[in-house]
Formats: sequence, C-alpha cells, structure tokens
Amino acid sequence: MPVLTYVEAIRQGIWEEMERDPSVFLLGEDVGVLGGAFKVTDGMLEKFGAERVIDTPISESAIVGAAVGAALMGMRPVAEMQFMDFIACGFDQIVNMAAKMHYRWGPALPIVIRGPSGAGVHGGPYHSQSNEMWFVHTPGLKVIMPATAYDAKGLIKSAIRDDNPVIFYEHKFLYRRIKEEVPEGDYVVPLGKAAVRREGKDVAIITYGAMVWTALEAAGELEKEGISLEVVDLRTLLPYDEEAVLGSVRKCNKVILLHEGTRTGGMAGELAALIAERAFEDLDGPIVRITGLDTPVPFSPPLEEYFLPNARKVIEAARKLARY
Amino acid sequence: MRSSKTARSSKPRNAPEPATLERMLHYLKLTREAEARIEQVLYRQGKIVGGVYVGRGQEAIGVGSALQLIAGDVVLPSHRDFSSFLIRGFSLADIFANWMGRADTPTRGRDNTLHIGNMKLGIIPIISPLGGTCPVACGVAMVLKWRAQGNVALVHLGEGTTSVGQVHEAMNMAGVMKLPVIFIVNNNGYAFSTPVEKQFPIKNLSRRGPAYGMPGKAIDGNDVRVVYRAVGEAIAWARRGEGPSFLECKTFRMTGHSAHDGAEYVPARLLQSWAKKDPIQRLEKHLLSKRIMTRQGIADLDRRIQKEVDAAVADAEARPLPQGESALEGVYCGPDCWWKGRSQKSEVRSQKQGARSKNTADDSII
Amino acid sequence: MSTNVIMPQMGESVAEGTITKWLRKVGEPIGRDEPLFEISTDKVDAEIPSPAAGILSQILVKENETVAVNTVVAVIDGEGAATGAPAQQVEAKVSTPPEVPEAAEPPTPAAAEGGEIEAEGGSAAPESEEVRSSPLVRRIAREYQVDLTQVRGTGSGGRISKKDILDYVEQRQSAAASRTGAAQPPSAPAASISPPAASLPSPTPAPVQPAPAPPAFTGPAQVVQMTPMRRQIAEHMVGSKRTSAHVYTVFEVEMSKVVETRERQRDEFERRNGFKLTYTPFFVRAAVEAIRDIPVINSSVDAMNIIYKRDVNVGIAVALEAGLIVPVIKRADEKNFLGIARAVQDLAERARTKRLSVDDVQGGTFTITNPGSFGGLFGLPIINQPQVAILGVGAIEKRPVVRDDAIAIRSMAYLSLSYDHRVIDGAVAEKFLSRIKQILENWSEPVL
Repeated sequence: MPVLTYVEAIRQGIWEEMERDPSVFLLGEDVGVLGGAFKVTDGMLEKFGAERVIDTPISESAIVGAAVGAALMGMRPVAEMQFMDFIACGFDQIVNMAAKMHYRWGPALPIVIRGPSGAGVHGGPYHSQSNEMWFVHTPGLKVIMPATAYDAKGLIKSAIRDDNPVIFYEHKFLYRRIKEEVPEGDYVVPLGKAAVRREGKDVAIITYGAMVWTALEAAGELEKEGISLEVVDLRTLLPYDEEAVLGSVRKCNKVILLHEGTRTGGMAGELAALIAERAFEDLDGPIVRITGLDTPVPFSPPLEEYFLPNARKVIEAARKLARY
Repeated sequence: MRSSKTARSSKPRNAPEPATLERMLHYLKLTREAEARIEQVLYRQGKIVGGVYVGRGQEAIGVGSALQLIAGDVVLPSHRDFSSFLIRGFSLADIFANWMGRADTPTRGRDNTLHIGNMKLGIIPIISPLGGTCPVACGVAMVLKWRAQGNVALVHLGEGTTSVGQVHEAMNMAGVMKLPVIFIVNNNGYAFSTPVEKQFPIKNLSRRGPAYGMPGKAIDGNDVRVVYRAVGEAIAWARRGEGPSFLECKTFRMTGHSAHDGAEYVPARLLQSWAKKDPIQRLEKHLLSKRIMTRQGIADLDRRIQKEVDAAVADAEARPLPQGESALEGVYCGPDCWWKGRSQKSEVRSQKQGARSKNTADDSII
Repeated sequence: MSTNVIMPQMGESVAEGTITKWLRKVGEPIGRDEPLFEISTDKVDAEIPSPAAGILSQILVKENETVAVNTVVAVIDGEGAATGAPAQQVEAKVSTPPEVPEAAEPPTPAAAEGGEIEAEGGSAAPESEEVRSSPLVRRIAREYQVDLTQVRGTGSGGRISKKDILDYVEQRQSAAASRTGAAQPPSAPAASISPPAASLPSPTPAPVQPAPAPPAFTGPAQVVQMTPMRRQIAEHMVGSKRTSAHVYTVFEVEMSKVVETRERQRDEFERRNGFKLTYTPFFVRAAVEAIRDIPVINSSVDAMNIIYKRDVNVGIAVALEAGLIVPVIKRADEKNFLGIARAVQDLAERARTKRLSVDDVQGGTFTITNPGSFGGLFGLPIINQPQVAILGVGAIEKRPVVRDDAIAIRSMAYLSLSYDHRVIDGAVAEKFLSRIKQILENWSEPVL
C-alpha cells in the first residue's frame, strides 16, 4: 500500500471525488495555476480544466458566496481559504448565509470550505489560528479536523459527499510531517465519529488535530511509569461523538481535554460541561484542560512554544491526575 | 409572447405587447394591495409580528424585471420586490402565511418577511445582512454560464447595500469572470434614515458599472416599461456572452424603512413630488390613453385584486402555528432532504399557480 | 362571539402604546379592517383597523392612556370573531416584549440528585461528605453500603480513591464469605464498575445486589412480594453461584441391590420402627462413607485456606409448599443406617410441620437433594454455601442396560455432583461418586 503524507492524502481524496462526481469543483485563491499555497490542489488544473479549478480574486466573501450560489444550482463546490485565519473575511457568508439556509427554506447546501490552520510553524497571529470554535458555535455547519493521513483522505471525501456546509480544517503542521499507508481508491471515514488512537485505562485524553500526536507522545512516556493513557481523537468537532467521550471517561474515570485553540470558549470547555452533566459519578478526579493560551498566537519561537501545549505539559498533568 | 424552455429571441423584448402591459398593471396593483394589507392592516392588528418591510412606490422595479425572466433564470430579489415572488409563482396565501409565522409555509415558521426561496421557481431570498446575495448570484451565474442555455441571474439590492464590501467583491468577480448576472439597484433615496448624500460620494451609482468591467445605466425606476426595456437589454447583453450589467433604478421609498418607522426625517415635499410619479398611476394613464384598458376594466381589476387578497389572507389565517418542538428539526440536510438536485438533472415541473401569466416560467427548471 | 382588540406592537423593541383617539363609540357598528382607533408609540403614530366586524361593545382603555403591548383595549361583539383567536395565539407566543429566555432548569445532578441519593442511602452510607473522595467513590460507597469513614485513603492528601474503595469492598466480602451460616450475604463484586444506565445518575434501589436490575416488565401482571424465605433462597442461590466455581459430574448407578433390599425389608422395617423405609438413608449412608475416603468433600473455603470439617453434618433438602429448607443430620458419620433413617424421618416430619429449630438448619457440611423425587432424571443443584459439594439424586427407573454384552432391564438412577472446583478437581469428584456408586451397587449394610 502506498505511503502518503497528510497533504498527499487530502489531494488524493479531492482528486478522486473530482473524478467520481462531475458536479465537484474547486475555487479559491491560487488553487489553479499555482496548485494552492500548500500544493494541496497541485496538478488539478491540468487534469480537470479551468471550469472546475477556478482561480478567484482575493474575495473570501465572494468565494464562499459563489460556492453557496453554485451549490443551490446543484453543484458541489470545494472552496479554499488560503489560511483559515482569513476565513473571517467570509464570516457572514458562512454563518448567516450557508449555515442557516437549509433550516430556513429547505435546500441542501453541499459546500466544503477547507484550508490550513494551526500553529507550530512560526506563522504569527494570522497564519496560526485554530478558530474552529467560531463555527462549532454555529448550528447548521459541520466542523472537521483530521489528525492522520488516512483520516484526512477519508474525511475530505465524506465532507464533499455531505449535503451540508462543512468547514474542513487541515493542520498545516501535519501536512508533510506525518505519513502512513493510505489505501488507493475509494473509502470514506464517517463524519461525527471519534477514533480511539490508543487504548488505556488510567486517564483518558480527548483531543484532535496535531495535538493527537502530542498526546500519543506523552502516552508513550507515561507507559514507562505505569500510567496508561487512552487517547481519543474527536475528528469531528460538530457534531461531535458524545458517546465516545463519555465511554472513555467512564472507563478511565479521569480525563484530560487537550487542544491547541485558545482556552476560553474552547472545545475543552464544551466537553467538560458534557462530562460533568452526564458522567459526574464516573469521575475519580477533576476534569483537566490543557489548551493554547488566551492570547493571539505569538510569533517569536519561545513565545509560540509557551503558547502551545506540548508532551511535557501533558505528561505532568497526567501524572498529577493519576495520583489524585 | 410565450417563450419556450430554452429559446430566447436575440432581439430583446423591448416593446411590451398590450397583454404584457395588462399583466404589468395587474402585478403592480396586486403588490400594492397585498403590501398595504400587510403593513397597514395585519401588522396593526397584531396578526403579523416582527419586522415589516414593504416596497410601496417601488413596485415597477420588481414587476418590470421579473416579467423578463424565463424558465431557468434565477432571481435574487430584495425585500422591496414583493412582485418578483408573485410573478415567479409563489402563492399569495403562502406569502401571507409566512408573514404570520404559520407552520405550513415556505420556511415552516422559521423566517419571516420575504426570506422565502424555492429553487424550482428560481428564487433565492436575501438574508438580513444585506449584500450577501450578490456573491451568491455570482455563483449562480457561474453555473448558468457553464450550462450555456442562455439563462441569467438577476440580483436586487438597495442603494445603501452598495456600500457593503461583499457587493464590491461580487461585482469585481462578475466583471473579471464575465458572468451573466445583472445587478439591479433600487435607489429609493434612503437607507433607513441615511439619505444618499451620506451613503456615497457620487450622484449616479451607475458610474460604478464600468469601474467593474460592466455597462452601468441609470433609469427611471418608476416607469415599469422603462425598467422592462432596460432589463431586457441587459439580459441580451449577458446572453451574448458580454457578461454582467449594472442598472440603477431611481425611485423613492414612499413608506418608512419599516412599518414601525415613522420616517419623520424624510422631507414632506419629497414624498409629495414623488407621489406624482407613482408607477401605478403612470401605467394606468398610459393604458387608458392607448385604449388598451378602460376605466371600467381597471375598476374590475381592482375588485378582483381585493377579492384575491381577501382570500389569501383568509387562507393564511386559517393555518395553524408550528409546534415548539419542531424548532429542533432540520438543522442538517439528511438523506431525506427535499432537495435532490444534481447538476446534470433538470426536472420540469409545471406550476399550479401563475398559470395565467404566459411569460412566467410555466416550466421552472433548475 | 366577541373579539378582543389589542394594543399592537409597532416595532421590535416597543413595549407600550398610547391611545390617542377612538374613532367609534361604544355601541356603534364597525366593519372589519375599518379604522377603529389611533395610537402613538415611541416610533410611530398609526391608525389601527378593526380586526373584526360587529358592534364595539366595550372600550377598556381611554384616550391618552398608555398601556403595554398586547393589552386588550376594546371588545367587539358580532360575527367574524374567528380571526381573534389566531391573533391572540400569535401574541401570546411571539410578540410579547422581548424577554431573556429563561434558562431551562439545569439538571444539576450534583446538587439535586446527589442530595436525593444521600438521603436514600443515608442509613447505611453516612458521612461521605466529611471524607475526601470523589463522585465515583461515593457512588461505589452507596452501591455497596460502605461507610467511607472506615475506608483508608491512599489518594492525594489522604483521599479515598477508586482503588481504595474497591479493595475495601473486596476484603469485606471475602471476610463475610468465610463465616458459616444458612443465608450468606452476596459475594464480592466484580472489579470493574458498570456505568450508570441513564444519562443522569439514578437513585440506587434498596440495598441488595450490586448488579443493575433488568428493565421493569410493563405488561399485565400480578405483583407479589417475596416472602422472607424466598428472599433468603434467592440471595443464597445467586451468592453461591458467584462464590463457587461450579462444575458438574453425573454417574449412573445400578440400584438393583438397594431396590431389592428395600423391597425385601420394608414391611418389617415399618412394623418395627413405625415409619416407612425410603431410599434417602441409603444415599446418605453411602455419601458419608465416601466422605470418609475423600474428606475434601466435607470442607469449606476461607480466603486462601481449606477448612476440613471434622463432623459430617449432612443436609437433606426438603421441598416445602413455600420453598425449600435443608435440615441437617448432625454427625451423620456417627450414625448407622437406622440412626440415619430415623434422623431423616424426624427432620422431614418437623420440616413439614414447621417445627424445625434454628440449630436444625445450621452447620451442614454436605447436602443431598433429590430432583428424582419429582421425576427428574438428574439435576445440577447449586452448592449450599459454605460447603463445597452437593449431591443430586435422580429418579430410580427401570432402564435397559448392557450387561455382559446383552441387554438387561435394571433399576438405574443418575447421581449428579455439583462441586466447587476451587478445591475439588474432576478426578477427586469422580472418585467420590465412584465410591458412592460402589457402595450402592454392592449394598451390604443391614437395614434392620
């Protein structure tokens, strides 16, 4: 089986969907001739032509709005935000136009808005954000963040086939750094389902995106000390897999919630409330959050490092919690 | 003049025939009466709640433009274009029921005013952050261009809305991609309390057209025949592959911004002078002078319209309100979502309503 | 039919309006949609048309009075009142002045449920507040009726952790299991705790079993509460299954010799002793003899120890109308056939007339039960705790068997032994039954 990087897996997923369904097309800044700022759409213009791979002006609102219009006409557009930080420029079209359309007057709105997010690459405040919670807070959308190459391909396919607006976050740190065997040909990973990356019994750690790898790294270290971590990768943030979260909490009775996004209003807060509501009597220790700081993502390496969670922070927290 | 599904004559339909003129009067009056019923009666009786916006005095824009649409065209009307909905085939009763928040309506009680849409009828509604439909119209026009069947998209917006960034993004995209979309600006003098002098630094918005790579024209928005001709020309332009157009229709807002706006900031003399240019009066005068209609005929028309509106209100009032729990349904579109459209498939449906109008899309296709 | 006329809401944040002019007087007729009164609000002044046709029967708000939106300002009597209802519906549901939506009663399982639960289990699980633990630990304490003040905490700051309470419960259960007695408490729980069934923790039922109850039956039924005997039997049976590693072996015994002996001697026996000669004493004697050879059958388990009992106290299961009872023949190893027969007769008699004493049903070290008395071929009985084996005697029937390569008709019976594999291995069990078989098939002890 071929070994693909995370970015290659996404590219293959989009490519296969373009071949499979002629109503799928791409639009965004520099997606055609350049093949995308991160080369995700490399080669697609030559293969599929200028009508299906459209280089647009710098107009996030128009990009998303045009995607909405095309979807209403029966197409399946995949719109790229060059960096997910810039999704804010198309915010109105996403949360007011796309998210509410089906609820209000019934049409399917099969658009995918995809782009690179996340920190760890010295990108500074506008090339490093994890702003998924703006959209997790908006009913009508689906929000996805794959952590592995296999999932990235399977999830982009599911996203394209879904009849709802899907925001697809690709963690730029993972683009070329992770690779694994990815099956050629068609397969999908279902939206709305988490995956247990590593089974454990002492402390459950619920996370997503690049932080899954941080959690796995910590788990490997902690095993040597006899602390067994169960790592759960949410994969979909909206609608998220409540049963998977609760199941791991009930099994381990202690839980750490880990994400890169900023702390206040982050996914960890939402999960903590769910756990306290539904698994209170399964808790043998307090719920612990490890998140990005409540600041913009700073540029200088020591500042960025301080901002981000890392394996060391996870190991310390897990030790403490295990001993509680 | 009945148009077939795909063919459009290369000569724009400039000079409306008498039958078309009669239809224009019908829709102008029906719109005027229906909106008056909404704003001045139902709202004041508490039967309609929430925000109420009507387009009194501006009816010629919706009527003149929508009557140029054929099957396969898509219109994105503004909240001042009640007539566009009627002409495309929305039932009056459905519209009233939607205003009244009933369960059996195009939005199932989830949105009000003219936020109703139907892809089979080729209507996409606004959202309250105005300007958002302009980029959407570009997406629609993109697909229409690929399908190469001579169809166009019309998007309506107010002069105030032209200040929104998304509108410029849309015009720019339409110009650079040469999309078959027509931007129809309803310049009615005021955006809520903001007069045009505070809205933009130029006198004629039509000047913006060429700046975005498209023809721009300022016209008398209170003359339905002028609107009709101008829209026809723009459609022909688009069909020839020349791309988008920008039409500025000069008119005046004869009501408050909404039903609860007294609009004391509007000088009375403006209202008085524009009242003399009322679109309905002008068309009536024309029809009478050309002996296309008689006074009796017009009086009969008025009576018929009263009855039609009465019946629609009664129909709407009889419908039940939605159950609270139904608020949770339909956040996502699932496998049983009503929309099953795919890009290759086009379903021809005959409309039940609006059969009287020949130019209306009896065969709506998307 | 009358219609209420209300003060309409002219604008989303408008909360009240002032009547500036009534255009009709009380008693005057008004047509539907005809102007009825004029109002003034913060945003706009307007003429309000009548919602119905009829006679203006009441004016409830005077000119220049200001009232809240939706206040009834007048009443119209007459036809066309149907339109009134929906309007009011709409008002009631939608157009009331914007109110902050009340937060739905938060479930607060911690506060509400926790309090409830504490009260329910109060008598047996007190003071959980004073000891540092966790929600999970408190739940376990409740389910197993643990007084947390008795539990040693090894968590941070002396907190009682999950491991601490589970260890405590296990120790407590195995200590209880080593005590002898007729009705034993339920045995030690499994190490993993099953998750609560509902999304909110449900209050625990009255203290019995830790296992969750199956969903209640909802069809037509008659509910009968268990008698104390039935409850005891239920607890004991389930507890025994949990305690012992039940294994079963079945032997077929040729009862010809015993049958023939009984036939031959029964009349004389009855004449001499005043009661009937049954098969039971034969089995008891055989079992007692076999126990002499294989004493582990007469033991019990205490944690990691095997207690070999010196006395052989054989319990005989007796079926009663209301259940079953197991009176015990004390020191059966010191009795001969007649002594056993007498003891069986006496206990059975007293069992049926409810004259057994507590001592009569305590102290058994081995039990015999008779599924055959009701026609059963053989049974797989549950060990009578704290014993480690129980003998089931099946019905004695004539069956075709092979003897010397020919079919013969013999009186046969199945003997089944349920034994506790913690201390009795298969070979030992086989040996035991084999010895019983041998004794029965070669019966030689005088009966009279």
